[in-house]
Amino acid sequence: MRGTTPRRMQGLADPVLSTMVHDLGLAEVPHYASRSEKVVGYTNRWVENARFRDGPVNPQRVEVTDRASMTAQVKAKARELGADLVGICRLTPTMIDLGEEVPHEFVIAACIVEDYHKVLEGADAVEEEAMRVYAACSDLATELAAYVRDLGYPAWAHHNGVREVQAIPVFYQVGFGELGRHGSLIHEKYGADFRPGFVTTDLPLEVDEPREFGVQDFCMNCNVCMLNCPGDAIPKEHVVTEGIKRWLIDLEKCYPYSRLREEYCHLCVDVCPFNVGSHRTTFKTFMKHRKRIGYKTPKY
Amino acid sequence: MDKYYLHERRPDGAISTVGLYYSREEAEDIIAQLRELPEKRDCEYLMTRPDGAVPEAPPNNPEDS
Repeated sequence: MRGTTPRRMQGLADPVLSTMVHDLGLAEVPHYASRSEKVVGYTNRWVENARFRDGPVNPQRVEVTDRASMTAQVKAKARELGADLVGICRLTPTMIDLGEEVPHEFVIAACIVEDYHKVLEGADAVEEEAMRVYAACSDLATELAAYVRDLGYPAWAHHNGVREVQAIPVFYQVGFGELGRHGSLIHEKYGADFRPGFVTTDLPLEVDEPREFGVQDFCMNCNVCMLNCPGDAIPKEHVVTEGIKRWLIDLEKCYPYSRLREEYCHLCVDVCPFNVGSHRTTFKTFMKHRKRIGYKTPKY
Repeated sequence: MDKYYLHERRPDGAISTVGLYYSREEAEDIIAQLRELPEKRDCEYLMTRPDGAVPEAPPNNPEDS
């Protein structure tokens, strides 16, 4: 199956970021230059895991006579490996990077939730936590793919180190939540505080369905992320892609805050009522801290 | 930077937004890649500016060739 969805490149491979860095006369993205050894270690882990995303398939295949039972078994395995959310859907071309081939029928999505309390330790701690969870997701996806291959079915792991699968369309289809105005998928309990790993496979499985619980309707009138964004990067108007409403963040306005300072900006996710509701005390403490160090929010 | 919304119009008339791109070259490169897919052969691609204006010389579409 060949993919049809363009992926925006990350880091200096992104022409927007590389142009801005060049125009400022910088040699590197300041935020990347200040990365800790821990973050570098996490990055190395998913690069190392990429070597094991595929492997030999057990020739003694376990025949699947009960898809529901096999689905429960695979989901239980994902949870044993650390997943907080697990969902399954049929793979479609819109879930795959433009022009890439993935020869599988299903995709298993697994998410690990971040520790939101890290916001109280500063922006670097938030990024370090994100990288820790990305690395854990790469471990999870790698081990889950090996488990499926051991059942006798081909399987590839997809994570930060190697991937053709795009997170948002899969997340939506497996029912993890709805796409919010700030550009991240929102789960009713975890907000947007989770990171993904995926396994694509031909193992016969039962699929989950999209779930809508009012996020997009809420976002149409809420606007808190838009009003608090220091770069005015979050648009008022939405577009529709594959029948799903989405708001396209203006990266030229986002990057000066999220990439070109030494600190990471995470404010759109922090102020989202779906996040605040889950972390009320932490959020209040965090906002007091922000005001103390000079951030003036909201603007209106 | 220039900004271009890229939209795909399917043979049934449905429109799906592909993305927001920051130069005409970047958007046209995506159109070229999409046109290589057999299932996209009959799709048209439209670019609009954030203010809704349609830029001059839109990309070639099936009926133009």
